[in-house]
Amino acid sequence: MVLAAKKDSGTSRTDLPQGPVFQNKKLKAFKENAPFLIMIFPAVLVVFLFNYLPIYGVLIAFQDFMPGDKILSDTTIWVGFDNFKRFFSDPQFWPLMKNTFLICIYGFIIGFPLPILVSLMLNSLKGKKTAKFLQTIFTAPHFISLVVLVGMLTLFFGRYGLVNNLVASGGGERYSYFLETGAFRPLYILSSNWQDFGWSAVIYIAALSNVDPQQHEAAILDGATRFQRVIHVDLPAIMPMISVMLIMSIGGLMGVGYEKALLMQTDGNLAVSELVSTYVYKRGLTGVPDQAYATAIGLFNSIINVVLLIIANTTSKKFSENSLW
Amino acid sequence: MKKWMACLLAMAMLLSLVACGGGKKSDKPDSAGVEKLVSEYGFQWTDPKAPILNEKGAKELSFSVYSSKNASALDYNDMKIMQDLFASTNVYVTWENVSESVYSQQKNLIFGNADNRPDAIYHAGMSSGEIIKYAKRHVLLPISDYLEYMPNFSKILNDRPDIKAQLINVEDGKIYSLPRVEEMGLLQNPNILFLNKNWTAQAIQAGALKGVTEAELKDGLALTSDQMTDLLRYFHDNDMNNNGNAGDERPLSFVYNNWQGNQCDLYGMFGLNDNLEHRIVIDDQINYTVQDERFKEATNFIAKWVADGLIDKVSFEQSQDNFLANGKGLENYGAFYWWESETVVSNPENYITCAPLIGPKGDQTVCVSNNPEVGTGEVVIFADCPNFEVLLAYFDRYYDPLISAQINYGPIGIVYEENLDSKGMLVQKELPAGITSDELRLQNAPLGIIYLNDYAWNNVVNMEPRAKLRLERLTEFVTPYVAKNVKPCPNLQFTLDELNTLANYETNFNDYVRTNLIRWLMGGGVSDAEWDAFQKELSGKVNIEGLKKVYQDAYDRFIGK
Amino acid sequence: MKKRKNALRDTLGDKIFYIINGFFLLLLALIILYPLYFIIIASISDPDAVLGGEVVLYPVRVTLEGFQKIMERSDVWRGYLNTIIYTALTVVLALAVTVPAGWALSRKTLPGKKLFMIYFIIPMFFGGGLIPFYNVMSSLGLINTMWAVILPAILSVWNLFMTKTFFESSIPNGLIEAAKIDGAGQFRIFTSVVIPLSKAVIAVMALYYAVGQWNSYFNAMIFLQDESKYPLQLVLKEILIASESTVGGSGETILQQFRMANLLKYVSVIVSSLPVLCLYPFVQKYFAQGVMIGSLKE
Repeated sequence: MVLAAKKDSGTSRTDLPQGPVFQNKKLKAFKENAPFLIMIFPAVLVVFLFNYLPIYGVLIAFQDFMPGDKILSDTTIWVGFDNFKRFFSDPQFWPLMKNTFLICIYGFIIGFPLPILVSLMLNSLKGKKTAKFLQTIFTAPHFISLVVLVGMLTLFFGRYGLVNNLVASGGGERYSYFLETGAFRPLYILSSNWQDFGWSAVIYIAALSNVDPQQHEAAILDGATRFQRVIHVDLPAIMPMISVMLIMSIGGLMGVGYEKALLMQTDGNLAVSELVSTYVYKRGLTGVPDQAYATAIGLFNSIINVVLLIIANTTSKKFSENSLW
Repeated sequence: MKKWMACLLAMAMLLSLVACGGGKKSDKPDSAGVEKLVSEYGFQWTDPKAPILNEKGAKELSFSVYSSKNASALDYNDMKIMQDLFASTNVYVTWENVSESVYSQQKNLIFGNADNRPDAIYHAGMSSGEIIKYAKRHVLLPISDYLEYMPNFSKILNDRPDIKAQLINVEDGKIYSLPRVEEMGLLQNPNILFLNKNWTAQAIQAGALKGVTEAELKDGLALTSDQMTDLLRYFHDNDMNNNGNAGDERPLSFVYNNWQGNQCDLYGMFGLNDNLEHRIVIDDQINYTVQDERFKEATNFIAKWVADGLIDKVSFEQSQDNFLANGKGLENYGAFYWWESETVVSNPENYITCAPLIGPKGDQTVCVSNNPEVGTGEVVIFADCPNFEVLLAYFDRYYDPLISAQINYGPIGIVYEENLDSKGMLVQKELPAGITSDELRLQNAPLGIIYLNDYAWNNVVNMEPRAKLRLERLTEFVTPYVAKNVKPCPNLQFTLDELNTLANYETNFNDYVRTNLIRWLMGGGVSDAEWDAFQKELSGKVNIEGLKKVYQDAYDRFIGK
Repeated sequence: MKKRKNALRDTLGDKIFYIINGFFLLLLALIILYPLYFIIIASISDPDAVLGGEVVLYPVRVTLEGFQKIMERSDVWRGYLNTIIYTALTVVLALAVTVPAGWALSRKTLPGKKLFMIYFIIPMFFGGGLIPFYNVMSSLGLINTMWAVILPAILSVWNLFMTKTFFESSIPNGLIEAAKIDGAGQFRIFTSVVIPLSKAVIAVMALYYAVGQWNSYFNAMIFLQDESKYPLQLVLKEILIASESTVGGSGETILQQFRMANLLKYVSVIVSSLPVLCLYPFVQKYFAQGVMIGSLKE
């Protein structure tokens, strides 16, 4: 299929007098680059089997579906955009969108630069042994399960937890971190970042390790300070990686799972902790369990994300050389 | 954008064709038909003690039943009660066990993989919404069409129209699932108030609690709300546990919105039978307590206790684990609500069981919870199960009281003696060394579909000692305070339209009430203006009247109106 | 030698920079370390003391009950073995799929590059959900085999794009051109020029895939029926849930179970993460590749 497409693009033969030569050149170039197709084939196959074969399931969003129904047959009950309409007309639609958006955007603003910062800092630490030790420590929280993470949060930030005990012994008032709406987002976001910044930094650390030391030496000769070298040597070196991660993160911005929010949810913080995902989860528990509704919301979410991705990619292309495609 | 979608859809269409074509055809044997079953396999269902099949049937017929199991339980194939059932019925069942958490993930997939379904699901946990939708698609066997094969179950349905009414699918009037019925009378009132005897005695000595003498400090003590306020304040202000810190006493504790030991009993001081759903049946009318003026008064009263520190704010954020852990070691609970005091505190002998608190206007009642004692949707059979008549007759045996008891508590020979006592009751065997009675029970009892009611408790099996103790406390100190016209809201069956209304409004209703209620309780109360706005919103966008109508209609059908 | 040279050149500004940098990292390390330390002491303390807030700086009423309970179970050890097998196979296959594909995608001369990119981006956003996925796996005959756990995990598009970006930015084009002039074919270039220069990214990918598989349980939960095939995380999860379950128990049993569940939470974190953490330093070794690029270039 790809081959055919390439051949078609050679229709401009009439414009080019040396047509056959051009064709030959193209063919030669293709031959030279054909090995790339072989290299990419296994990945294409895996994605086809495990991602594309089941993808017809998105059609569930337009059906009245129960498990076991044929997704495409004459017994399928098509309902058009009903599932979407139900979501849009839900009294909670706007609060849910707002809560989801805010927690994602705040999470992104803190969570995106942090690993970059940390990798640059670790990279410019003088003791390499210390740097390695710190790196190991920083990745460790990634292995803590959500249940334990939230368990520790309640222990540390509970009314009689570590933090409140410290505050109280200093004469302060105890504060109910889990009942106040103001505390939910900071707790949620900071704990997520605590858990994952070190892990996300690994890729940047790896990219930094490929920086040519000669560049540093040249900069030193020019009299650059260590800080200047971070800005002018290290940062540009990982800029392509940063751009791509940025685009992909923006593309995944609205995707936030329900597990952690649900674990941290109390009646007190419900006004901010009810997210699209937790709400859908709860709706599935009361009344009719509704696969189609959940799929519709998932699809809606995906579309928002795709739009964001395209915007991010186009913007990035315009202002830098880096883009995803 | 458009190109993407088009591309995606085209791809999806193409692939679904591929995927749909790939399905295997079912390899299930055809049903033999009842006549052949009777003539060839000796199928009989009329004598509930004799085998259901003959030897040939035991060898040639088999059923695969999918079931989640409790993690401590043995594989059902290895359970003695299951082997005993095979011996007495000749019906061979292969159990496919998964853990409960795995089942909750796999349930949809089992239904989704239409060509490879088992014959039945045990511990199916089907909601009425699921049943109604699958029934409409003819996925499930309409059990009520074949009741002749189920003499025990038919008798239950005849004797207990209330149970029948909880099972009947409104859309077509049929029954699609087998229930679990365990009627001990424990679930309706999930809270009992326990009070620290020694601390209260100190308060009386100090003159802080008027109108009560030390001699009256025994089970059944009824305090007025004013007395309770004084008492809790005394607990709050003094170093009751003598550890040098007057700040670590928790005057009144509960676990907010927990299924047991919650705050709902406090609303009883104002004559409300509140529960977590705030929905209760009075004189056969569905009521929402949050629409009652008394709810406002009660909320303000409780909010004052919170503001004064008589109810520690931790009660609103703690999990039950935290609540239970805090009761151990140093004594710091003055009073608390729970299912039983023995679980909560290390020294339960220091705590007395109280009658409900008496409110400012003399009201004295308690929470009536909607936790049902009838579990519907416990077993479903797939419509394409071959020879389902045999499976129905087999499951019917589970409703024999003697079998029910063994299903629920463990089999004769392991948990119970071979011989019944003079009254015909099961006799507990001596425990083997190194195992608790609970462990033994969980290992050997599958639980699931049973019918244990008053008759069984009086004639077949003794209640566990703990259940008995709790029941005694409830009948003495709690249930007398519930008015006769107040009933919990049972399992109701809804039409598809009603289910849609519930799906669209109920989660939102819960969120709205919960967010506001806790704000009021934590923030010192609710002003009249706020309350009015709340009522307006409730009957407006939140659609409480719509919800009420759905429940009322369903309830009217339930009582046969 | 290089180090000394740098040391000589440290200006006052550099020194301040190093101090501030070190200070912030130290602070960060403390914030990270305390909760980790807490998990360790909580795993050997009386669970009531943990929930009661008594455990702050040192374990209280030390108990090894949790570890005993986990270690004496044969299914935990079997889970370990399964997880190791699944992880090892996943990493090998994932690298074999991801690294060449990443390299191919990073080349401007890849025929149909844009189409391929779109092909890989779409599944990042659109999925068919669980039921079609299950049915596809069922048609492929993978249900209840270890391949159901391994194969879907051998390509993460996110990782693929990271690899691609790494290649684009870190492999000097001149080197590739030089190899071409020497008459090397694309495969030759890939194996003898690209791979040696990309140990860092290969190490990261190995790490990401390994840990991804090590921590995952969902596919195993859905596709595996035999408990003897369960990976460690699923076994631990089941133990945890089992200890929280309250069906039919009396008050005392339930209480004991709650205590055990609370203890096991912390124990399971240690049991499941320690082996991987110990491997991390080995991965790190490959991060110090910068010198090599320099030497190759000369």
